[in-house]
Amino acid sequence: MTAVGDSDSRRSEHRSLADRAIRAALLHFVAATAALGLVGYAYVYTFLIDAPIHSDGVSYYVYLPAWIGDGDPTFETLARDCCGGFTADPIGIHRWPETKRWLAVHPIGVAILMLPFFLVAHALSWWSNLPRDGFSFYYQYVVGAAGLAYVAAGLALLRQLLLRHFSEAVVLATLVTIAFGTNLFHYAVYDGTFSHAFSFFLIVSLLLLADLWWEAPGWPTSIGLSVVAALIVLVRHPNAMFLAFVPLYGVRRSSDLASNLHRLWQRRGLVTAMIGMTMCGVAPQLAVYKWATTHWIVKSDPDGRFTFASPHLFGTLFSVERGVFFWSPVLLFAVAGLWVARGWARGWVAVTVAVLLANTYLMASWYMWYFGVGYGHRAYVDALGVFGIYLAAFFAWAAERPRVATAVRTVTAALVVLSVLQTMQYWTGVIPGEKTTWDQYRALFLRVR
Amino acid sequence: MTGIRSLAAVALAAALAAAAIYLHDPPWVGSLTSGLRPRETDAHGATFRWTTGRASFFVPSDATVMTLQLRPGAPLSKTPVTVDVNVDDRRLATIELPDPLHPDPDRWVLTSLPLPRRATSRRFRRVDLRVHRWLDQFHLGVQLGAIELKRP
Repeated sequence: MTAVGDSDSRRSEHRSLADRAIRAALLHFVAATAALGLVGYAYVYTFLIDAPIHSDGVSYYVYLPAWIGDGDPTFETLARDCCGGFTADPIGIHRWPETKRWLAVHPIGVAILMLPFFLVAHALSWWSNLPRDGFSFYYQYVVGAAGLAYVAAGLALLRQLLLRHFSEAVVLATLVTIAFGTNLFHYAVYDGTFSHAFSFFLIVSLLLLADLWWEAPGWPTSIGLSVVAALIVLVRHPNAMFLAFVPLYGVRRSSDLASNLHRLWQRRGLVTAMIGMTMCGVAPQLAVYKWATTHWIVKSDPDGRFTFASPHLFGTLFSVERGVFFWSPVLLFAVAGLWVARGWARGWVAVTVAVLLANTYLMASWYMWYFGVGYGHRAYVDALGVFGIYLAAFFAWAAERPRVATAVRTVTAALVVLSVLQTMQYWTGVIPGEKTTWDQYRALFLRVR
Repeated sequence: MTGIRSLAAVALAAALAAAAIYLHDPPWVGSLTSGLRPRETDAHGATFRWTTGRASFFVPSDATVMTLQLRPGAPLSKTPVTVDVNVDDRRLATIELPDPLHPDPDRWVLTSLPLPRRATSRRFRRVDLRVHRWLDQFHLGVQLGAIELKRP
């Protein structure tokens, strides 16, 4: 009896120690990831590439140097003087043929979210007597870190959301997997001025606020939800489809939909105010379009087009060139999570499937379905918060089945390590930026150089 | 606990003040440039860098005269290429590069400019070049050769 008692007490002590370790790891996870991100950021921009504000990042950012740096929202000054060494076109503005006015390829949302970082860089540039041109030293390195800051904030919010519904161990495993088992870390550090880090933060915010709003629809939550909804549209217009997560909260069957509509009708004053606030938030973008083109809604990318009749579905999902599940295979566990999800997570399965399918069809129909140079399929970074919910649902399901749990732990750990290694391979140029073939992939597999 | 917090607040304030003092005149700005392409060498072995529409570099604050070597690129417009030179946000000169349609690719335009004698607490003065070309979709400015400085 004593031996059994000792063993029980030892087991309980181990469990208590493990619980404390998990709690501590969960508490410090975001700070540790941000610190690691800063180390990666310093490494990348000291040894690997020149400027954090590069490629698409320039065209998302140009509003700030033009509007604040030059004090010229027409972009004329920027077009004339731009921009710290870039050649033509990558600055992402083009003259609208009819009006001859400049229009940026990308919308204003990322620039709005970068604004605090820009102002810090602007103040530092003034203080140190550096050029206040929007592209000199402080702008590059302070604004360039904005993506990392928003990813860290997004991870903190994802932790808060998941802790409301899952155990600490499951939440920790999910955060580690989302941060390092996918291309999120890359788009936080290396390409942190692209839109994806910002969209990740906003969509996680939307999920958390929607969860809180349906529970208790106070004004602070309603205003927060409206602001986030507007920013989601302002950062990347197609992401407006993620707003469906709000009205379709908890909808499993048609009767749930009727119930949600009834509850929305009961809150109609608040809902009307929220729609109004969201429209006000989006209005500046519409004003920009109207001024530049005389149209309220425009196709701002002159080369962009959709090929809806021939979407590259396999390429987008599974190809070596860019497939999301090829480069982040651990996300297949999230797909499995859609089947095994229970309780709260089950309530979002229908809307998740609908939004991810629509999003996939849209991205696969984009003429540049592989989204140019990049690591993994970058358009899915925006939705990693949604994947996180079903990854957690899958881990929670597996945790109740000891044999499955061991296998899932092993495979997940291996896939996270593989993802980290492949990220490093991409950073150091071992893996090509685009058009990777299976033969290339096999030849380069796990090669350091 | 309150004591530790107060100490931490004081340490943070001291660190911020030290950082502010350091960043007011950082020693490394002398090697910074903005708006300049990588160094190139022409057929005669002269090194130069292309500017974009705007370019900035730093010169030691005790320099009294700065000589700039500039030349335009390929002929693109009959509008003369002019370069505004500002030092620490104050206009110093405007340099006009001759023969916009037939520039001599081997001829540098040398301009010696006396630098402001206003006292400064900084180690370096910032020199900004602003190139006026008025050409859309073209972001190269002028070629900037070696910068000569006269110091006491």
